[in-house]
Amino acid sequence: MLATAIQQLLNAAQLGAVYALIALGYTMVYGTIRLINFAHGDIFMLGGFIGFLLVAIIPGLPVAAMIPLAMLLTAMIGVLIERVAYRKLRNAQRMSLVITALGVGIFLENLVRILVGPQARQIPAQLPNKVLRLANGVVITEDKLLVILISLSLMVILWIFVNKTLLGTAMRAVADNRDAVQLMGVNLNLIIATTFAVGSALAAAGGIFFGQAYSIDPYMGIDLGWKAFIAAVIGGIGSIEGAVIGSFLLAGVEVLTVAYLSSNLKNGIAFGLLIILLLIRPNGIMGRAALKKV
Amino acid sequence: MAEHQGKTPLNFRNVAIATFIVAALVQFLGSVGLFNNYYLHILTVIGINIILVASLNLVNGYLGEFALGHAGFMAVGAYVAALIALKLHLPVLLRIPVSLAGGALAAGVIGYLVGRVTFKTVGDYLAIITLGFNMIIVNAIQNIDYLGGPRGLTAIPKGTDLATVALCTVLSYWILRNLVDSVYGRMWLCIRENAIAGELIGIDVNRVKNLAFTVAATFAGLAGGLYAGYQQFITPKSFDYLKTTDILVMLYLGGMGSLSGSILGVVAYTLLMELLRNILGLIAPQLADLRMLLSPLILVFIMLTRQYGLMGNREWRWLMPDRKQTGGEGA
Repeated sequence: MLATAIQQLLNAAQLGAVYALIALGYTMVYGTIRLINFAHGDIFMLGGFIGFLLVAIIPGLPVAAMIPLAMLLTAMIGVLIERVAYRKLRNAQRMSLVITALGVGIFLENLVRILVGPQARQIPAQLPNKVLRLANGVVITEDKLLVILISLSLMVILWIFVNKTLLGTAMRAVADNRDAVQLMGVNLNLIIATTFAVGSALAAAGGIFFGQAYSIDPYMGIDLGWKAFIAAVIGGIGSIEGAVIGSFLLAGVEVLTVAYLSSNLKNGIAFGLLIILLLIRPNGIMGRAALKKV
Repeated sequence: MAEHQGKTPLNFRNVAIATFIVAALVQFLGSVGLFNNYYLHILTVIGINIILVASLNLVNGYLGEFALGHAGFMAVGAYVAALIALKLHLPVLLRIPVSLAGGALAAGVIGYLVGRVTFKTVGDYLAIITLGFNMIIVNAIQNIDYLGGPRGLTAIPKGTDLATVALCTVLSYWILRNLVDSVYGRMWLCIRENAIAGELIGIDVNRVKNLAFTVAATFAGLAGGLYAGYQQFITPKSFDYLKTTDILVMLYLGGMGSLSGSILGVVAYTLLMELLRNILGLIAPQLADLRMLLSPLILVFIMLTRQYGLMGNREWRWLMPDRKQTGGEGA
């Protein structure tokens, strides 16, 4: 009984880690330019496929090189998307940005579908996957453990980057008051490009981990993108800690629903609970209430 | 605002009557094989989509909130209408209006309840709750065997054709534009521009917001009922967030806060997609896939060049109520 519960928690942690890697991108982009970047789920998908292609093109590529390389490539694509599609609309009404993001997302899905086909694939085994037996009969594979550990360390690195470096400070300043930051002589374009680069790189790592554990297909970004977006909102969108908390919470609810109720009810119960949570805390767990300007 | 034009034949009443007559004629020609059924299908889909997009425009355009769950209300309407048509064995003349009204009413009631709960939150949180509601509805239907579960409902009796759809579209449009032009419409605009100012001049913000939401849900339900009666089969998958995305794309393409824009958006997007399919298919069949690549690019291009959509906050004068009659007391 206890063993299965721990087992489920580990499953939830693995799924939560993937959600968190995507949700961080959502929350960072939202924090800086107030855009719900609907293309972000598809950047996650793209990251998974870039990893898949890297392994396919360069046969002996070690995973320690594949993940950073895929993250780098995806980061470049993320920056490119911001430059081409979003920058011109930065001061436009928010909804036209949102709809542009939707368009970019649909474009990416179809591009990948046309290039590599619609079928689901798995990224060939890269991480060591020996089975570890813990006390009480709890079983965990090494890759699951590695996914959780690498994701957590990425999140720690991000936290240090945002809170302790100059660039990170500038990012927080942009999130706080974009206009004032520009008056201080900060290069806004550089900061926003950095945000997109970091967010896309994290999403790429999530895509690779997801492709190792489950499978990747051109449309997976829609579903996981929405889930991660919801996780970010639950945590309080704009907050990095909140995105991580929200992701693990959502993954926990989902895994428990599948384990103890029915996998068919997964989405319904997860969203139901999260809506209730939002009604109790309308700004998310870590979110601050927006001031009403009179 | 009031442009006093002379008596022109191009006013809403004439256009509405003409639309209905043409639709009925086309439907008749189609049923005797004199009109291409493919075109008939496209016209019907356009009609249903106009109801969906124009009604969502109340919330997203005029009220300025960001609701993401329109397909959920469409699902409620479609399933209720389909159940009425399937289970109550009414004569045809009664069945169509009763099932459509039932679907619209059910969606309206659900919309009212959802609105009561959700309008405590604003902005992106409202988006997430409406989206979550959409997912819950689809998920619930998938788990109810009586509704066919994931397989959906089949063999729904034929309820609607182009003429019915045209009639419903014209009526919906008429109601929506009168609402937008009414004192409630002004309140929605006021809330969109400055909710606090609205509160200070005594608008019951939550109630007025919820009215827009309920009306939008009702018409989404009507569109769902029309869809169910036209397609004769429905599955929960047809109403998930992909459908909502489709509706949003047409809405924003046409323009926020513009009912004429909604018509334009639906027509332009639908025709564009079909044209691309045909033209690319003509060059080479395998190119037809590229349509899915080109259409989002076109959307992005339009957004980059016309960020308020094709008709943002502007209307075709002749589709709006005649100022000469209402101008005295209305404004």
